[in-house]
Amino acid sequence: MVSKGRAAGSLESEVLATLWAAERPLTAGDVAVALGSDLAYNTVQTILVRLHGKGAVHRELAGRAHTYTPVLDDAGLAAQRMRAMLDRGGDHAAVLTHFLGSLTPEDESVLVDLLRRPHRKT
Amino acid sequence: MGVWVFLPLLCAGLFAVSAPALSRQLPPAAATWLLSIGSLLAAVGSTVSLTVVGFIFVAQNRQLAQSGHWSGQTLRHGGTIWTPVAVLAVVAVIALAARTALAGWRRVAALRQAYQLAAALPASGGELVVLDLPDRQALAVPGRPGRIVVSAGLLRALDAGQRRAMLAHERSHLRHRHHLHQSITGIAAAANPLLHHLPAAVGLACERWADEDAAQTCRRDTVADALTRAAAGQNRSSFLAGGTVLAAADTEVAARIGALRRPSPPVSRWHLAVLFSLLAATALATFAAAHDTEHLFELAQSAYLHGYH
Repeated sequence: MVSKGRAAGSLESEVLATLWAAERPLTAGDVAVALGSDLAYNTVQTILVRLHGKGAVHRELAGRAHTYTPVLDDAGLAAQRMRAMLDRGGDHAAVLTHFLGSLTPEDESVLVDLLRRPHRKT
Repeated sequence: MGVWVFLPLLCAGLFAVSAPALSRQLPPAAATWLLSIGSLLAAVGSTVSLTVVGFIFVAQNRQLAQSGHWSGQTLRHGGTIWTPVAVLAVVAVIALAARTALAGWRRVAALRQAYQLAAALPASGGELVVLDLPDRQALAVPGRPGRIVVSAGLLRALDAGQRRAMLAHERSHLRHRHHLHQSITGIAAAANPLLHHLPAAVGLACERWADEDAAQTCRRDTVADALTRAAAGQNRSSFLAGGTVLAAADTEVAARIGALRRPSPPVSRWHLAVLFSLLAATALATFAAAHDTEHLFELAQSAYLHGYH
Protein backbone atom coordinates (compact mmCIF):
# COMPACT_ATOMS: atom_id res chain seq x y z
CA MET A 1 0.00 0.00 0.00
CA VAL A 2 2.59 2.52 1.07
CA SER A 3 6.06 2.69 -0.39
CA LYS A 4 8.66 4.97 1.17
CA GLY A 5 6.02 7.19 2.71
CA ARG A 6 4.05 7.67 -0.47
CA ALA A 7 0.73 6.01 -1.20
CA ALA A 8 0.43 3.67 -4.18
CA GLY A 9 -2.12 6.01 -5.81
CA SER A 10 0.25 8.94 -5.80
CA LEU A 11 3.07 6.82 -7.28
CA GLU A 12 0.72 5.78 -10.05
CA SER A 13 -0.01 9.45 -10.79
CA GLU A 14 3.68 10.28 -10.83
CA VAL A 15 4.49 7.47 -13.26
CA LEU A 16 1.62 8.47 -15.55
CA ALA A 17 2.66 12.13 -15.34
CA THR A 18 6.21 11.15 -16.30
CA LEU A 19 4.97 9.32 -19.41
CA TRP A 20 2.91 12.35 -20.43
CA ALA A 21 5.82 14.71 -19.93
CA ALA A 22 8.20 12.60 -22.02
CA GLU A 23 6.51 12.92 -25.45
CA ARG A 24 8.19 9.65 -26.50
CA PRO A 25 7.78 6.00 -25.44
CA LEU A 26 9.63 5.22 -22.20
CA THR A 27 10.88 1.93 -20.75
CA ALA A 28 10.43 1.14 -17.05
CA GLY A 29 14.10 1.98 -16.65
CA ASP A 30 13.61 5.40 -18.27
CA VAL A 31 10.72 6.15 -15.90
CA ALA A 32 12.72 5.05 -12.86
CA VAL A 33 15.60 7.33 -13.89
CA ALA A 34 13.23 10.26 -14.52
CA LEU A 35 11.57 9.82 -11.12
CA GLY A 36 14.90 9.88 -9.33
CA SER A 37 16.85 7.44 -7.26
CA ASP A 38 14.33 6.86 -4.49
CA LEU A 39 12.09 4.59 -6.56
CA ALA A 40 13.16 1.02 -7.26
CA TYR A 41 12.98 -0.28 -10.85
CA ASN A 42 10.74 -3.10 -9.68
CA THR A 43 8.24 -0.69 -8.12
CA VAL A 44 8.03 1.29 -11.36
CA GLN A 45 7.63 -1.93 -13.35
CA THR A 46 4.76 -3.03 -11.08
CA ILE A 47 3.00 0.32 -11.43
CA LEU A 48 3.38 0.31 -15.23
CA VAL A 49 1.88 -3.19 -15.44
CA ARG A 50 -1.01 -2.05 -13.26
CA LEU A 51 -1.57 1.08 -15.39
CA HIS A 52 -1.50 -1.08 -18.52
CA GLY A 53 -4.08 -3.40 -16.96
CA LYS A 54 -6.39 -0.44 -16.36
CA GLY A 55 -5.94 0.81 -19.91
CA ALA A 56 -4.14 4.00 -18.93
CA VAL A 57 -1.00 3.24 -20.99
CA HIS A 58 -0.09 1.53 -24.28
CA ARG A 59 2.65 -1.08 -24.19
CA GLU A 60 4.92 -2.02 -27.09
CA LEU A 61 7.85 -4.37 -27.36
CA ALA A 62 10.92 -2.47 -28.55
CA GLY A 63 13.88 -4.80 -28.77
CA ARG A 64 14.06 -6.64 -25.48
CA ALA A 65 12.17 -4.12 -23.33
CA HIS A 66 8.60 -2.90 -23.21
CA THR A 67 8.03 0.77 -23.88
CA TYR A 68 5.04 2.69 -22.57
CA THR A 69 3.04 5.66 -23.82
CA PRO A 70 0.03 7.25 -22.14
CA VAL A 71 -3.41 6.50 -23.61
CA LEU A 72 -5.25 9.60 -24.76
CA ASP A 73 -8.34 9.53 -22.56
CA ASP A 74 -11.63 10.35 -24.18
CA ALA A 75 -11.88 13.35 -21.90
CA GLY A 76 -13.59 15.53 -24.51
CA LEU A 77 -16.98 15.59 -22.84
CA ALA A 78 -15.54 15.96 -19.34
CA ALA A 79 -13.29 18.76 -20.56
CA GLN A 80 -16.29 20.54 -22.05
CA ARG A 81 -18.19 20.31 -18.77
CA MET A 82 -15.18 21.57 -16.89
CA ARG A 83 -14.77 24.48 -19.24
CA ALA A 84 -18.45 25.31 -18.84
CA MET A 85 -18.03 25.37 -15.06
CA LEU A 86 -14.96 27.58 -15.25
CA ASP A 87 -16.59 29.95 -17.72
CA ARG A 88 -19.60 30.40 -15.45
CA GLY A 89 -17.21 31.85 -12.88
CA GLY A 90 -18.37 32.59 -9.33
CA ASP A 91 -19.32 29.56 -7.26
CA HIS A 92 -18.90 27.14 -10.13
CA ALA A 93 -15.30 28.12 -10.79
CA ALA A 94 -14.56 28.47 -7.07
CA VAL A 95 -15.18 24.82 -6.21
CA LEU A 96 -12.46 23.80 -8.68
CA THR A 97 -9.26 24.71 -6.90
CA HIS A 98 -6.44 25.74 -9.26
CA PHE A 99 -2.80 25.06 -8.67
CA LEU A 100 -2.18 28.73 -9.22
CA GLY A 101 -5.25 29.99 -7.42
CA SER A 102 -5.47 32.72 -9.97
CA LEU A 103 -3.33 35.50 -11.29
CA THR A 104 -3.98 39.18 -10.95
CA PRO A 105 -2.07 41.54 -13.27
CA GLU A 106 0.06 42.55 -10.25
CA ASP A 107 0.93 38.90 -9.64
CA GLU A 108 2.09 38.61 -13.22
CA SER A 109 4.48 41.52 -12.98
CA VAL A 110 5.91 40.29 -9.67
CA LEU A 111 6.38 36.86 -11.21
CA VAL A 112 8.32 38.29 -14.11
CA ASP A 113 10.66 39.84 -11.51
CA LEU A 114 10.95 36.54 -9.64
CA LEU A 115 11.85 34.74 -12.84
CA ARG A 116 14.58 37.23 -13.72
CA ARG A 117 16.11 37.21 -10.24
CA PRO A 118 18.35 34.17 -9.65
CA HIS A 119 17.10 32.64 -6.44
CA ARG A 120 18.97 31.18 -3.51
CA LYS A 121 19.73 27.47 -3.74
CA THR A 122 19.91 25.58 -0.48
CA MET B 1 -31.72 44.81 26.32
CA GLY B 2 -30.10 47.91 24.87
CA VAL B 3 -27.05 48.68 22.79
CA TRP B 4 -25.58 45.42 24.13
CA VAL B 5 -27.62 43.57 21.58
CA PHE B 6 -25.28 45.02 18.95
CA LEU B 7 -22.20 43.53 20.62
CA PRO B 8 -22.16 40.36 18.42
CA LEU B 9 -22.38 42.63 15.37
CA LEU B 10 -19.44 44.69 16.67
CA CYS B 11 -17.38 41.55 17.38
CA ALA B 12 -18.18 40.21 13.92
CA GLY B 13 -17.08 43.54 12.43
CA LEU B 14 -13.79 43.48 14.35
CA PHE B 15 -13.19 39.92 13.18
CA ALA B 16 -13.95 40.86 9.57
CA VAL B 17 -11.51 43.78 9.67
CA SER B 18 -8.63 42.09 11.48
CA ALA B 19 -8.80 38.39 10.60
CA PRO B 20 -7.35 38.46 7.04
CA ALA B 21 -4.18 40.27 8.18
CA LEU B 22 -3.84 38.29 11.44
CA SER B 23 -4.30 34.95 9.66
CA ARG B 24 -1.28 35.59 7.43
CA GLN B 25 0.91 35.25 10.52
CA LEU B 26 -0.48 31.80 11.34
CA PRO B 27 0.33 28.34 9.94
CA PRO B 28 -1.99 27.99 6.91
CA ALA B 29 -3.96 25.01 8.29
CA ALA B 30 -4.79 26.88 11.50
CA ALA B 31 -5.51 30.03 9.49
CA THR B 32 -7.94 28.18 7.21
CA TRP B 33 -9.90 26.70 10.12
CA LEU B 34 -9.97 29.94 12.11
CA LEU B 35 -11.09 31.96 9.10
CA SER B 36 -13.85 29.60 7.95
CA ILE B 37 -15.25 28.73 11.40
CA GLY B 38 -14.75 32.35 12.46
CA SER B 39 -16.69 33.60 9.43
CA LEU B 40 -19.51 31.22 10.28
CA LEU B 41 -19.57 32.47 13.90
CA ALA B 42 -19.43 36.10 12.80
CA ALA B 43 -22.30 35.53 10.36
CA VAL B 44 -24.41 33.80 13.04
CA GLY B 45 -23.57 36.54 15.57
CA SER B 46 -24.50 39.43 13.31
CA THR B 47 -27.66 37.65 12.18
CA VAL B 48 -28.72 37.07 15.81
CA SER B 49 -28.10 40.77 16.58
CA LEU B 50 -30.24 42.00 13.72
CA THR B 51 -32.93 39.36 14.19
CA VAL B 52 -33.31 40.14 17.90
CA VAL B 53 -33.60 43.88 17.28
CA GLY B 54 -36.02 43.36 14.41
CA PHE B 55 -38.10 40.73 16.16
CA ILE B 56 -38.54 42.71 19.41
CA PHE B 57 -39.67 45.68 17.31
CA VAL B 58 -42.15 43.65 15.26
CA ALA B 59 -43.42 41.76 18.35
CA GLN B 60 -44.55 45.05 19.90
CA ASN B 61 -47.33 45.10 17.32
CA ARG B 62 -50.61 44.99 19.24
CA GLN B 63 -52.27 42.18 17.26
CA LEU B 64 -49.14 40.07 17.22
CA ALA B 65 -48.72 40.52 21.00
CA GLN B 66 -52.37 39.56 21.54
CA SER B 67 -52.17 36.36 19.52
CA GLY B 68 -48.78 35.47 21.00
CA HIS B 69 -49.93 36.08 24.59
CA TRP B 70 -47.14 38.47 25.53
CA SER B 71 -47.13 42.07 26.66
CA GLY B 72 -46.12 44.52 23.94
CA GLN B 73 -45.69 47.16 26.60
CA THR B 74 -43.04 45.14 28.42
CA LEU B 75 -41.16 44.65 25.15
CA ARG B 76 -41.32 48.40 24.49
CA HIS B 77 -39.81 49.12 27.89
CA GLY B 78 -37.30 46.30 27.75
CA GLY B 79 -36.15 46.76 24.16
CA THR B 80 -35.32 50.44 23.87
CA ILE B 81 -33.94 50.49 20.33
CA TRP B 82 -34.46 53.64 18.30
CA THR B 83 -37.28 52.94 15.80
CA PRO B 84 -35.40 53.81 12.55
CA VAL B 85 -32.61 51.43 13.59
CA ALA B 86 -35.13 48.70 14.36
CA VAL B 87 -36.84 49.17 10.98
CA LEU B 88 -33.44 49.05 9.28
CA ALA B 89 -32.68 45.80 11.15
CA VAL B 90 -35.94 44.23 9.92
CA VAL B 91 -35.18 45.20 6.32
CA ALA B 92 -31.58 43.96 6.64
CA VAL B 93 -32.61 40.60 8.10
CA ILE B 94 -35.05 39.94 5.26
CA ALA B 95 -32.64 41.05 2.52
CA LEU B 96 -29.67 39.13 3.97
CA ALA B 97 -31.73 35.98 4.51
CA ALA B 98 -32.67 36.01 0.82
CA ARG B 99 -29.05 36.70 -0.16
CA THR B 100 -27.76 33.87 2.03
CA ALA B 101 -30.32 31.38 0.75
CA LEU B 102 -29.36 32.25 -2.83
CA ALA B 103 -25.62 31.94 -2.10
CA GLY B 104 -26.16 28.62 -0.32
CA TRP B 105 -28.25 27.23 -3.13
CA ARG B 106 -25.71 28.32 -5.77
CA ARG B 107 -22.81 26.83 -3.85
CA VAL B 108 -24.57 23.51 -3.32
CA ALA B 109 -25.45 23.39 -7.02
CA ALA B 110 -21.81 24.10 -7.92
CA LEU B 111 -20.54 21.38 -5.56
CA ARG B 112 -23.01 18.88 -6.96
CA GLN B 113 -21.87 19.72 -10.48
CA ALA B 114 -18.24 19.24 -9.43
CA TYR B 115 -19.07 15.83 -7.93
CA GLN B 116 -20.79 14.82 -11.17
CA LEU B 117 -17.77 16.02 -13.13
CA ALA B 118 -15.38 14.03 -10.88
CA ALA B 119 -17.47 10.91 -11.49
CA ALA B 120 -17.62 11.51 -15.26
CA LEU B 121 -13.87 11.94 -15.75
CA PRO B 122 -12.03 8.92 -17.24
CA ALA B 123 -10.88 6.64 -14.41
CA SER B 124 -8.10 4.63 -16.05
CA GLY B 125 -5.35 6.79 -14.57
CA GLY B 126 -6.71 6.66 -11.01
CA GLU B 127 -6.83 10.08 -9.37
CA LEU B 128 -5.00 11.76 -12.27
CA VAL B 129 -6.70 12.93 -15.46
CA VAL B 130 -4.48 14.44 -18.13
CA LEU B 131 -5.98 16.73 -20.75
CA ASP B 132 -3.92 16.84 -23.94
CA LEU B 133 -3.71 20.62 -24.02
CA PRO B 134 -0.72 22.95 -24.33
CA ASP B 135 -1.84 25.14 -21.38
CA ARG B 136 -0.18 25.05 -18.00
CA GLN B 137 -3.10 24.28 -15.74
CA ALA B 138 -3.83 21.99 -12.83
CA LEU B 139 -6.94 21.81 -10.73
CA ALA B 140 -8.60 19.69 -8.10
CA VAL B 141 -12.16 18.53 -8.71
CA PRO B 142 -13.88 17.60 -5.42
CA GLY B 143 -15.88 14.37 -5.52
CA ARG B 144 -16.02 10.77 -4.36
CA PRO B 145 -13.22 10.25 -5.02
CA GLY B 146 -11.87 13.68 -5.94
CA ARG B 147 -9.83 13.99 -9.13
CA ILE B 148 -6.74 15.89 -10.18
CA VAL B 149 -6.93 17.34 -13.67
CA VAL B 150 -3.68 18.49 -15.26
CA SER B 151 -2.89 19.72 -18.75
CA ALA B 152 -0.16 17.95 -20.67
CA GLY B 153 1.48 21.35 -21.20
CA LEU B 154 2.07 21.75 -17.47
CA LEU B 155 3.46 18.21 -17.09
CA ARG B 156 5.94 18.94 -19.88
CA ALA B 157 6.97 22.26 -18.33
CA LEU B 158 7.86 20.72 -14.95
CA ASP B 159 10.63 18.33 -13.96
CA ALA B 160 9.91 15.14 -11.98
CA GLY B 161 10.30 16.78 -8.57
CA GLN B 162 8.11 19.71 -9.54
CA ARG B 163 5.44 17.34 -10.91
CA ARG B 164 5.48 15.49 -7.59
CA ALA B 165 5.09 18.82 -5.75
CA MET B 166 2.20 19.92 -7.98
CA LEU B 167 0.38 16.59 -7.56
CA ALA B 168 0.90 16.71 -3.78
CA HIS B 169 -0.52 20.25 -3.75
CA GLU B 170 -3.71 19.23 -5.56
CA ARG B 171 -4.04 16.09 -3.43
CA SER B 172 -3.88 18.26 -0.31
CA HIS B 173 -6.83 20.35 -1.58
CA LEU B 174 -8.88 17.17 -1.93
CA ARG B 175 -7.76 15.45 1.27
CA HIS B 176 -8.45 18.46 3.48
CA ARG B 177 -11.69 19.34 1.68
CA HIS B 178 -10.68 22.92 1.02
CA HIS B 179 -13.80 23.39 -1.10
CA LEU B 180 -15.91 23.09 2.07
CA HIS B 181 -13.91 25.76 3.90
CA GLN B 182 -14.32 28.03 0.90
CA SER B 183 -18.03 27.28 0.56
CA ILE B 184 -18.75 27.95 4.27
CA THR B 185 -16.89 31.25 4.08
CA GLY B 186 -18.63 32.25 0.85
CA ILE B 187 -22.05 31.65 2.36
CA ALA B 188 -21.08 33.41 5.61
CA ALA B 189 -20.00 36.44 3.58
CA ALA B 190 -23.44 36.52 1.97
CA ALA B 191 -25.08 36.60 5.42
CA ASN B 192 -22.73 39.29 6.70
CA PRO B 193 -21.43 41.65 3.97
CA LEU B 194 -18.74 42.91 6.38
CA LEU B 195 -17.02 39.57 5.74
CA HIS B 196 -16.53 40.24 2.02
CA HIS B 197 -12.72 40.02 2.25
CA LEU B 198 -12.84 36.64 4.00
CA PRO B 199 -13.38 34.34 0.97
CA ALA B 200 -10.16 35.62 -0.63
CA ALA B 201 -8.31 35.24 2.69
CA VAL B 202 -9.52 31.64 3.04
CA GLY B 203 -8.57 31.02 -0.60
CA LEU B 204 -5.01 32.15 0.08
CA ALA B 205 -4.83 30.16 3.34
CA CYS B 206 -5.96 27.00 1.50
CA GLU B 207 -3.37 27.50 -1.25
CA ARG B 208 -0.66 28.06 1.37
CA TRP B 209 -1.84 24.95 3.23
CA ALA B 210 -1.57 22.86 0.05
CA ASP B 211 1.86 24.42 -0.70
CA GLU B 212 3.14 23.46 2.77
CA ASP B 213 1.76 19.94 2.35
CA ALA B 214 3.54 19.69 -1.00
CA ALA B 215 6.73 20.89 0.71
CA GLN B 216 6.54 17.77 2.92
CA THR B 217 7.28 15.62 -0.16
CA CYS B 218 10.17 17.69 -1.50
CA ARG B 219 12.26 20.79 -0.86
CA ARG B 220 10.38 24.09 -0.37
CA ASP B 221 12.27 25.55 -3.32
CA THR B 222 10.92 22.80 -5.58
CA VAL B 223 7.31 23.77 -4.80
CA ALA B 224 8.17 27.42 -5.44
CA ASP B 225 9.87 26.49 -8.73
CA ALA B 226 6.82 24.47 -9.80
CA LEU B 227 4.54 27.43 -9.08
CA THR B 228 6.83 29.81 -10.92
CA ARG B 229 7.04 27.54 -13.98
CA ALA B 230 3.27 27.02 -14.02
CA ALA B 231 2.61 30.73 -13.73
CA ALA B 232 5.18 31.63 -16.38
CA GLY B 233 3.23 29.78 -19.04
CA GLN B 234 -0.13 31.36 -18.32
CA ASN B 235 -1.94 32.34 -21.44
CA ARG B 236 -5.00 34.33 -20.63
CA SER B 237 -6.93 33.40 -23.73
CA SER B 238 -6.25 29.70 -23.29
CA PHE B 239 -8.66 26.84 -22.83
CA LEU B 240 -8.83 26.30 -19.08
CA ALA B 241 -7.90 29.77 -17.91
CA GLY B 242 -11.03 31.55 -19.07
CA GLY B 243 -10.93 35.28 -18.44
CA THR B 244 -13.80 35.08 -15.96
CA VAL B 245 -11.94 32.59 -13.82
CA LEU B 246 -8.79 34.62 -13.56
CA ALA B 247 -10.77 37.73 -12.77
CA ALA B 248 -12.99 36.01 -10.22
CA ALA B 249 -10.49 35.38 -7.44
CA ASP B 250 -7.21 36.95 -6.39
CA THR B 251 -5.13 34.37 -4.63
CA GLU B 252 -1.67 35.82 -4.64
CA VAL B 253 0.79 33.49 -6.31
CA ALA B 254 3.68 35.83 -5.64
CA ALA B 255 2.96 35.84 -1.89
CA ARG B 256 2.90 32.04 -1.92
CA ILE B 257 6.21 31.82 -3.76
CA GLY B 258 7.71 34.31 -1.32
CA ALA B 259 6.53 32.25 1.66
CA LEU B 260 8.00 29.09 0.15
CA ARG B 261 11.38 30.74 -0.44
CA ARG B 262 11.62 31.38 3.31
CA PRO B 263 11.77 28.67 5.98
CA SER B 264 8.36 28.11 7.57
CA PRO B 265 7.94 30.79 10.26
CA PRO B 266 7.35 29.95 13.94
CA VAL B 267 3.73 30.05 15.16
CA SER B 268 2.80 33.50 16.42
CA ARG B 269 0.98 32.82 19.69
CA TRP B 270 0.06 36.49 19.94
CA HIS B 271 -1.86 36.51 16.64
CA LEU B 272 -3.47 33.20 17.52
CA ALA B 273 -4.57 34.56 20.91
CA VAL B 274 -6.10 37.71 19.40
CA LEU B 275 -8.11 35.73 16.83
CA PHE B 276 -9.27 33.21 19.43
CA SER B 277 -10.34 35.99 21.82
CA LEU B 278 -12.32 37.71 19.06
CA LEU B 279 -14.12 34.49 18.22
CA ALA B 280 -14.79 33.72 21.87
CA ALA B 281 -16.15 37.24 22.37
CA THR B 282 -18.41 36.86 19.32
CA ALA B 283 -19.75 33.55 20.59
CA LEU B 284 -20.31 34.86 24.12
CA ALA B 285 -21.99 38.06 22.96
CA THR B 286 -24.24 36.06 20.61
CA PHE B 287 -25.22 33.69 23.39
CA ALA B 288 -25.85 36.61 25.77
CA ALA B 289 -28.03 38.44 23.21
CA ALA B 290 -30.10 35.32 22.56
CA HIS B 291 -30.40 34.60 26.29
CA ASP B 292 -31.43 38.20 27.10
CA THR B 293 -34.11 38.07 24.43
CA GLU B 294 -35.48 34.84 25.80
CA HIS B 295 -35.57 36.38 29.27
CA LEU B 296 -37.33 39.48 27.98
CA PHE B 297 -40.01 37.36 26.32
CA GLU B 298 -40.55 35.36 29.50
CA LEU B 299 -41.08 38.66 31.32
CA ALA B 300 -43.49 39.85 28.63
CA GLN B 301 -45.45 36.61 28.81
CA SER B 302 -45.79 36.69 32.60
CA ALA B 303 -46.77 40.39 32.37
CA TYR B 304 -49.49 39.40 29.87
CA LEU B 305 -50.81 36.82 32.33
CA HIS B 306 -50.99 39.57 34.95
CA GLY B 307 -53.16 41.67 32.66
CA TYR B 308 -50.58 43.98 31.04
CA HIS B 309 -51.09 44.22 27.27
